[in-house]
Amino acid sequence: MAFSPVQLGAHGCLTALGDAAQTHAALLRGERALALVPVHGSAGGDPVPLALLPGRSLDETSPPSWLPGVKRLMRGCPEAPWGGARHPVFVTSSNFGVGNLYEFRRTALASHLAYGTPEACVAFVGRELGWGANVTIVSHACVSANVGLVLAARQIASGLADEALVFTFDFLSPFVAGGFHALKILNSEFPAPYQARATGSIGLGDGAAFAVLRRPGPGWIIAGQTLHNEMHHFTAFPPDGAGFMACIEPLVRLASGRRVWIKGHGTGTLESGRLEAEAFARAMPSSPLVGWKGSIGHTLGSNGLVELAVAVESLRSGRIPGTVGSAAPAFSGTVALEPIAGGSFDGVLCASNAFGGAHAALLLCHA
Amino acid sequence: MRPSSSAMPEAYVSYACTDDAGGEDPAATRARLRAGLSPGFSRRATVLGLLIGGVLRGAMEQCGGTTVYASAFGETRTLADFLDTFPHESPTLFQTSVHPSAVQQVMIERKLPIREYVPLAGGPCLAARALAAALLSPGDPVVFCGGEERGSWMADMGIASDRSFAFALVLRKDRDASTLARLRLEALDRDEGAQADGAPGGMAFPAWFDLLHARRSYDGPVSAEWRLGLEWM
Repeated sequence: MAFSPVQLGAHGCLTALGDAAQTHAALLRGERALALVPVHGSAGGDPVPLALLPGRSLDETSPPSWLPGVKRLMRGCPEAPWGGARHPVFVTSSNFGVGNLYEFRRTALASHLAYGTPEACVAFVGRELGWGANVTIVSHACVSANVGLVLAARQIASGLADEALVFTFDFLSPFVAGGFHALKILNSEFPAPYQARATGSIGLGDGAAFAVLRRPGPGWIIAGQTLHNEMHHFTAFPPDGAGFMACIEPLVRLASGRRVWIKGHGTGTLESGRLEAEAFARAMPSSPLVGWKGSIGHTLGSNGLVELAVAVESLRSGRIPGTVGSAAPAFSGTVALEPIAGGSFDGVLCASNAFGGAHAALLLCHA
Repeated sequence: MRPSSSAMPEAYVSYACTDDAGGEDPAATRARLRAGLSPGFSRRATVLGLLIGGVLRGAMEQCGGTTVYASAFGETRTLADFLDTFPHESPTLFQTSVHPSAVQQVMIERKLPIREYVPLAGGPCLAARALAAALLSPGDPVVFCGGEERGSWMADMGIASDRSFAFALVLRKDRDASTLARLRLEALDRDEGAQADGAPGGMAFPAWFDLLHARRSYDGPVSAEWRLGLEWM
């Protein structure tokens, strides 16, 4: 497999716990951002665990209530002619402005339509952030950010871009909460990733993040990225877990000789959590596995980049948050429930999954 | 500014299939494309899923490496139907309304995995962005497919496609006896690109489809950054 290694030149994220450093610190303290919220927002419904930005309602507004948070996040992005010919932008999401579409259907307020499609929503974000027209929109459910990172790395490697910006955002609404609630995996239980228990459950979270990719240089390097789509079932993996192995095998070889920990997907569903934990334990038995969605929730299409930003904080600080919200027994002996010292590690493998049996993974290490 | 050391990506089209369903009624599309499909799939699939399944029929075995998929709006009929189920949401409509389900519906029906599935959504230069993703992929072959389904009330509001269409191409790195066309992207200066299709946005996605459907060659800008050369043999 041909990799396109790139430098992770700058990065940042926004979760219900704050920026990357604040989120990392809160995870180390074992804080849980998830709280029970009516699934249909002000319209009521069953209480489900959601991690919303402080002060943000599940009901979307016009203009969207997440804009100030996005602007705050992107103040940390280096200045460059983003969206210009040599500085492409890759925008990824699984939600875009679907919360506004839901509100339009509910309230008939036409102003919501200005954000109701991926194209309209990204155009709005681009105008607010001053981007040019060189913007690619990626939408692959919960591996969207990972696919954006792959495409950005290829533009860098081809020599067609000097730098590439990957920006991802997913903000919750009754649309997505109601959808996962209908699938019965978003229920009144808080998620406990990788914990062997009677009932599985997930939590959802607001999230946004960015990464600036450059040609390989000093600092953090995304050494390799892999994708794999099982196409077995929309919401289930084959029982042998082969897709997890198919995705990570090239990265396991690439990581040979390094001490690597694993940031898994770990939403809190039982079968996929078990398959994931067992696959990682088999492929990398000396690498501890952690998952953070028991605290910040599943940030959907953005989770791959949101959690990458937190992983970089972990590597930088030498302290890796444990699997917040989970307790013994875990699905494998490699699951780290408590924070671990990261000083002896020189890399992290980050994995994500999505509808359709989609897998994505990347290996981040120091140059 | 033209980059000094960049690759000019190109590929050779070895398979091309298009379906211009236009304003066809969804029930008529379903009936027309039902042949060769399992009854369950033809009943469950979205209109876009059926259209994509139809154009991919002759390229199915080549999707396993890299498949680039483009749809500005995705499954808008299902999205609209899902919205109408609140407060008793349909799980099936939710999962099939999620972009990019059309290819997934087809591949899951056949249990055909894809190593790299690269789905792109809307944007004024969707065709150019998807072409760049396909031509920069190291995969060989690369399947490049896409399309739209005509929306229901969302089309009336201007937030869904007003026509249905689908296309599928198989792209190869090298020319051979099966070659139907050559595709080439060339970086161009921004002033030239700003005039693409008479607007800064570049070539509209339906216009790209129309080129393929008519087997019409083209040499001109498709976005502010790219000139497209499409030459049918």
